[in-house]
Amino acid sequence: MIEITVWCTGVIQDKEGRDVCLVLTEAAFNEGKFTQAFDNYVDLPDRINVQVRKYARISDTVIENVFEYENHKPNIIGVTEATIMKGINVCYGIQPGSVLVINTTKDPEELLKYVPAKQKKNLKAVATIDALGIAPEQLIDYSGSEGAEDASAIGGGLGAAMAGAIAAVSGLVKKESVLAAAANRTAAKRGYDEVKIKQL
Amino acid sequence: MKTRFKKYTVEIPEEMAIPFAGIVESPKPNGEQPMMLTGGWRIYRPVIDSEKCVMCKSCVLACPDATVLLVDGGNKIGFNLDYCKGCGLCTWVCPVNAIDRVPELDFEDGVPFQDALFLLPHVEALYAD
Repeated sequence: MIEITVWCTGVIQDKEGRDVCLVLTEAAFNEGKFTQAFDNYVDLPDRINVQVRKYARISDTVIENVFEYENHKPNIIGVTEATIMKGINVCYGIQPGSVLVINTTKDPEELLKYVPAKQKKNLKAVATIDALGIAPEQLIDYSGSEGAEDASAIGGGLGAAMAGAIAAVSGLVKKESVLAAAANRTAAKRGYDEVKIKQL
Repeated sequence: MKTRFKKYTVEIPEEMAIPFAGIVESPKPNGEQPMMLTGGWRIYRPVIDSEKCVMCKSCVLACPDATVLLVDGGNKIGFNLDYCKGCGLCTWVCPVNAIDRVPELDFEDGVPFQDALFLLPHVEALYAD
């Protein structure tokens, strides 16, 4: 089972972080895999700019732990705002061979200094993508993180570019599946193509 | 016409006077609470140009978290970066545009780094190797 944790800023990028998980799981589901995508209220996500986690799980077999609402040992980390890494260890608990994908204009080497040595040895690759430059529209969702109504399409903003980048780095799902799952097809395609990868 | 109120003058001793904007030095008997630090939320850091500043203290009043401080004996404006969330209200209220917003990643320091997540003991066991 592959566990994905996406870090995003509260309220401002709440929907985008959720979209990364939803696009990847929908793409994997259409390829015939078993998936879960969920939020957790543990980070108190109603506060603007607080660091929030969104989760997804993708597996070839049936996922049995349906009552654990947190990925304790993730394999893929997404960060939709690079500044989060300066304040918190986003890679906490990662498995050996994990990948880290960050939304920033900087190079992957510049952001590695915010990963402590204990987690750095488990990283397989670090990648950066200028997702905000590709898809600057962000839907600010003041209704909070508890579901509520989400009338806008899934994967309309920078979440689509991030999902494309994660697919390219990890090889988790095919490119065509991601493009089909995201509403903003161009952003997902550019995210897949323009991601800067550094293998460790 | 006779007034209903008498005028009183109260002499407040120096040590009992309330400081500007009600900011008092908190005693912190248990030290800093690392779980409560909000410096990591900040995306843009406020940076003040002391030459432009006219010491109107609008930013001190505007800050929702009391992180704008009077330093240097009350002659300068400083920031408590452990708690500043980077909301930008100080920049917004400044009448002389002395406070700039600079991306936090341009600086090396200033943010308290959380090496581990704050978890309850039984959840911490799930994260352990």
